[in-house]
Amino acid sequence: MRPLLEIARERLRRRRVVAVMSGKGGVGKSVVAALAALARPGSALVDLDLEGMSAPRLFGLSGRLHEVGKEGIEPLEAGGVKVFSLGGIVGDRYVVLPGYGQAGAVEALLAFAKLGDSDPVVVDMPPGMGEELLALGRVADFLPVLVATPSRASYGVVKHLAEYLAEMGKRPAAVVLNMAYVDCGGSRIYPFGRGEDARRLAESVGAPVHEAPIDPSLEDYVGKIHEYRGPVADVVRRMVEGL
Amino acid sequence: MHEWSLALSLVQTLDRWALERGVQIRRVVLSVPSPAQLDVSILTEAFDALKRESRLEGARLDVKVRSPRYRCRACGYEFGQEEVDAQIGRLMGQYGEEYPLHLIPELLPTFVKCPRCGSHDIEAELSIKVDEVETA
Repeated sequence: MRPLLEIARERLRRRRVVAVMSGKGGVGKSVVAALAALARPGSALVDLDLEGMSAPRLFGLSGRLHEVGKEGIEPLEAGGVKVFSLGGIVGDRYVVLPGYGQAGAVEALLAFAKLGDSDPVVVDMPPGMGEELLALGRVADFLPVLVATPSRASYGVVKHLAEYLAEMGKRPAAVVLNMAYVDCGGSRIYPFGRGEDARRLAESVGAPVHEAPIDPSLEDYVGKIHEYRGPVADVVRRMVEGL
Repeated sequence: MHEWSLALSLVQTLDRWALERGVQIRRVVLSVPSPAQLDVSILTEAFDALKRESRLEGARLDVKVRSPRYRCRACGYEFGQEEVDAQIGRLMGQYGEEYPLHLIPELLPTFVKCPRCGSHDIEAELSIKVDEVETA
């Protein structure tokens, strides 16, 4: 018996687990996950991008370590969100892990995270379809939120992820079409096309599409994402309300 | 301090397991890898404190600390704990109480290199497992 796997399952059994995923890297999963957690008071954000660890960076928590008490890992907190990340275990250094190491890290983080009353639990997934995806599937019945950009390069990867999820009996709850347009004096310019492929994919699985703009001001909020009130946050908040 | 959270997880998991089967637990054998540097006396003290009013109330915890065998997947070299002890010692010195393998021993390849070729691509059985449960 693996007690950590069992306790991780038990801790997540009665909570909604929203997994922000894509398969593709660089589409803005971590920003969407952070804004999704901020949109719902009482959320926790679990960063399962073990090698990327963007969540602490977005919230200005880099280098801070989790305290570990008698009941588990104490969260790092910012903007009312409880953040759990491997970055809070290893500090500011690289992580390189074979699959069994990723599995152990996912199970331990979810088993020991002191979630308290947090609900939902938003999970920031890594790019790719590797061990973290399998490990999350072992632990929790999650609600997938897919993030894509209008680029066809993004679509191909997201399509494979959606096909895998469908085989597992999971339907994406929403598709965020990120970096979709630029707002120029009230009119929208779509520099990468309208993302028709991604829209058709969303339609085929019955998931609503939420189009988020390119907002250059977001860059100013890396390190204080909890203070960002711009248009991307509005889109993500509406997405969360519809889950 | 992590020994307490591990003991709590163990008691909660096994209590539910015993409840589902309608049994009482008499003995638990927990196997932990030595790089986790868990303090066995604190772990058993925590277990004994936390098991009260559960189906483990009369249970004894035996902790087996095992020294893993390692294999480098890059060069194929196989080695024992004694060949990584110095690296583990430095890591403990660097992190102090926040020693990461204490909480997640599977993180070892991030910190430890193959003593022959220097690769981090190291294979070992590093999980914390329940080896045996005796019931009544």
